[in-house]
Amino acid sequence: MSFEEFQNQARLYVIGALERDETEEFEEARKEFGESADRFIAQCYDLHEAFALSLQPKKSSEALKQRLMSMVRERKS
Amino acid sequence: MIGSGTQEPASEEEPVASALRVSPVEGPSDLELMQGIQDEKPEALELLYDRYNGIVKALILRVIHNEAEAEDLLQEIFMEIWNQAKNFSAAKGKPLGWMVTLARRRAIDGLRKKQAYLRAGERLQNETEQQPNAWVHNTTEDEISFGDTRVLVRKVINTLPEAQQQAIDLAFFRGLSQREIAAKTNTPLGTVKTRLELGLKKLYDGLKEVRDEL
Repeated sequence: MSFEEFQNQARLYVIGALERDETEEFEEARKEFGESADRFIAQCYDLHEAFALSLQPKKSSEALKQRLMSMVRERKS
Repeated sequence: MIGSGTQEPASEEEPVASALRVSPVEGPSDLELMQGIQDEKPEALELLYDRYNGIVKALILRVIHNEAEAEDLLQEIFMEIWNQAKNFSAAKGKPLGWMVTLARRRAIDGLRKKQAYLRAGERLQNETEQQPNAWVHNTTEDEISFGDTRVLVRKVINTLPEAQQQAIDLAFFRGLSQREIAAKTNTPLGTVKTRLELGLKKLYDGLKEVRDEL
């Protein structure tokens, strides 16, 4: 697998779109390309952030926040 | 494989979403808040929640399409952020990216666990037929504005052909594999692969360019 092919596969990998056999091949290539591969994959994960930012935020209820914070403080104490 | 020539890995100074900061906010940075959560300071989680609950909830809703379940899952996800914060490493990515990855996984897992996957798929089929550009045109009045960032991200997404948008949407927001997308859309597997590869590459490159516009 060339690095260009690896890059194409990496973008599919981070969104979970690779099939099992492709994932195995991808993991082999990842080892082969070493740090460059890991650095590129980390950058591909930024796509996740971008996808989320493409959506209109939806307000959640104040009650939910209060419940969450109550649970967090309980767990801490 | 599709591409326009071998590229070296982008440098660390060129992350795709480096410019895609929501950050209209004042106060501590996301990273400082994550450090606060790692130090078990509830007020840090509260600030992070205030900043991003809307984005995380929108993501969950995009996956499971159920308001009550989305609220439950949102609570679980922020509890997981609290519990798993020690696993966050700034060296591996940014706080929002980490949260989104975690939220997406939980939402897709939730969808599968309740065994509504097939029903959701049918809903998606109808939804897709009725509203092919749902991903980029899902505005409602009761939404919070995050300024130019979303507009710029959407601008990039809108440059993709509809079929590529749909393939990416099904993969990212539904967790479908290429074969599942092919089956769902009655499209040859090779075509799905091409759509995903081309679409994701265009998005990746386009989002880099967005950085220069901010």
